[in-house]
Amino acid sequence: METPASRSRIQLNPLRPLLRNPVALKELRGRMRGPRAFVVLTCYLMVVGGFTTLLYIAGTAATYSTSGEVDGGTLGRVLFGSVVAIELFLVTFITPAFTAGSISGEHESQTYDLLRTTLLPERQLVFGKLFSALAYVLLLLLAAIPLQSIAFLFGGVDIEEVLISLLVLLATAIFLGTVGVYYSALTHRTLRANIMTYVTILTVILITTAGAVIALAVAEGLNPSTSSTGSEWFLLIVRGIFVCLNPLTTLLATQQYLVNQQTLFTFQYTFSNGTTTTLPSPWIVFTILYLVLSVVVFFLTTRHLKRIEG
Amino acid sequence: MSIDTPEEKVIETPSGEAATETPVLTEVLPELPTVIDEQDLIIETRNLSKRYGRLQAINNLTLQVPRGAIYGFVGPNGAGKTSTMRILTTLMKPSSGEAYINGHSVVSAPREVRRSIGYMPDFFGVYEDMKVWEYLDFFAACYEIPEAQRPGLINDLLELVDLAHRRDDMVDKLSRGMKQRLCLARTLAHDPQVLILDEPASGLDPRARIEIRELLIELAKMGKTIFFSSHILADVNEICTHIGIIEAGQMVAQGPIKAMRQQLMPHRVLIITLLGRLDDAKEALLHVEGVQGIVDLPPEEGKTRIKVEFTGEDLRMSEMLQALTSKGIPVVNFAEESSDLEAVFMKATKGIVS
Ligand SMILES: Nc1ncnc2c1ncn2[C@@H]1O[C@H](COP(=O)(O)OP(=O)(O)OP(=O)(O)O)[C@@H](O)[C@H]1O
Ligand SMILES: [Mg+2]
Repeated sequence: METPASRSRIQLNPLRPLLRNPVALKELRGRMRGPRAFVVLTCYLMVVGGFTTLLYIAGTAATYSTSGEVDGGTLGRVLFGSVVAIELFLVTFITPAFTAGSISGEHESQTYDLLRTTLLPERQLVFGKLFSALAYVLLLLLAAIPLQSIAFLFGGVDIEEVLISLLVLLATAIFLGTVGVYYSALTHRTLRANIMTYVTILTVILITTAGAVIALAVAEGLNPSTSSTGSEWFLLIVRGIFVCLNPLTTLLATQQYLVNQQTLFTFQYTFSNGTTTTLPSPWIVFTILYLVLSVVVFFLTTRHLKRIEG
Repeated sequence: MSIDTPEEKVIETPSGEAATETPVLTEVLPELPTVIDEQDLIIETRNLSKRYGRLQAINNLTLQVPRGAIYGFVGPNGAGKTSTMRILTTLMKPSSGEAYINGHSVVSAPREVRRSIGYMPDFFGVYEDMKVWEYLDFFAACYEIPEAQRPGLINDLLELVDLAHRRDDMVDKLSRGMKQRLCLARTLAHDPQVLILDEPASGLDPRARIEIRELLIELAKMGKTIFFSSHILADVNEICTHIGIIEAGQMVAQGPIKAMRQQLMPHRVLIITLLGRLDDAKEALLHVEGVQGIVDLPPEEGKTRIKVEFTGEDLRMSEMLQALTSKGIPVVNFAEESSDLEAVFMKATKGIVS
């Protein structure tokens, strides 16, 4: 029997309302049962940790040879950046794997019809699947924070940077997870949903990278004396959108502005005619864009699921 | 809400003493609490049709299931039973026509329909990584049962389907029959008024089949309407109050089982096994009203058997038995032929086979 005291204590648990979602509770229970969750976490930390060690060895050797003395700040920055890049790579590949089977798997295990005839709203189904997958990804990200923090030992990295990188990684995971669930709802086969998700991700990466590079090249090719501020603005925005649609370029650009201008939230852009303007830092635009896109994809998914098969 | 677990299986013998041994399962007949009102339809379809491309799977089907009935939906493979059920359970849209459950249209009010029905598909899976109680807890939550009520509900449901001892086992380790019973418990989580069961007894051994049959009777006694499909005519014969025969997407015949038998099978068939005095027996039987003919059957284990064709109500059978016993004729077995419904079925579906 619950006493009033124990009940109020339970309700302080922030996960409580989320665990009211039956799907989230079931998935988390299933995911955490048995050795699988532990094995994935261990492998993930071993990969990230192994790479960090290698980079540390290579980094010390490289900084020694140039200055004869270890440059702590640079080494810290390189280590930090590398850990984040590895995490980004892993999140990009792990999140779809966690979500692309979420709804197609219910079809494959012949449990979808049972679920569908209950009163469970479609949005709760999608949210539960997404939440349980993302909760695990978040666990992976949080587990790697100590590795990111090794960089603190060398200086050159602030706590804000760690938080921003976490935010960008999380927004990436949310978007990729939503895309995975979307394809999982669209097709009844998990394999096909996986392929569709990865193809979409690779396309986004290729297009955004190519777009950013091309816009940059065009901007540099402009003749400063003849180009108008208007066309410069246009190219700047196009480039910005491409950069801010790709987590890797977003992180690189944010880092560059941070190093060059010492600002985290904004950066200054100087046009060729000498005027300057202040713009929001890429990570802010990225996070907003990815969250908005996630919401859109989420609604597309529930809309698709609401449709009764013809 | 609450689900009444069945009372102890105590049989009140006429003399008033209670016998606690399990009843002979096949002999349990439905005793429905109320008289069924044939006009009060809880499931109703009007000119329901469904086509898959060029295949007309359901063709102008008019289905009428009165409240409180145990309705057996029978038909050969591919007749359209599963398709009909998928429409009734809001999983599929009809191509044309209407379908109502408890007055709610399956197309325009799917949520109300889902609230009224419990559905067990012909093929279904269970989650691999769940315990039995977690499985029921999950579905109870999906049916918006408040958390505080769930533990009690789960215990009641497990008790009802006789799985209380497997509460903490993993679902995928259960036997087929147990999974079937667990799924049935799941369909009851929200105390629906109608159960739509697609071949609930398929793939089960005779024992498990009888258990399911018994459970259905128990549920009908709780006031639930049961609409189930089956190939096994014995199931239908023994527990249904109503039957509908579907073939090639069309309803061949439907109605209360008695009326169906009389309509389609004017002759009823009785098999009598005797230890001797065959001629006396024939003589006695021919004097009973309604008897149409008597045929000798090959003897079995040295006992004489005859087949009696007759028309009319059950009263005729009792008169026949009386006629035999009053003359001291040694009757050892006296039963209506159980394949009776099979004959109804064969007769009803003959000629329309596509
Ligand atoms: N999704 C589908 N796509 C195309 N045709 C289908 C589909 N589902 C069923 N059919 C066809 O519709 C007809 C009716 O099928 P249905 O499953 O409703 O029959 P049934 O009476 O349940 O048969 P059974 O007794 O074998 O379960 C069959 O000819 C079947 O091949
Ligand atoms: Mg079927």
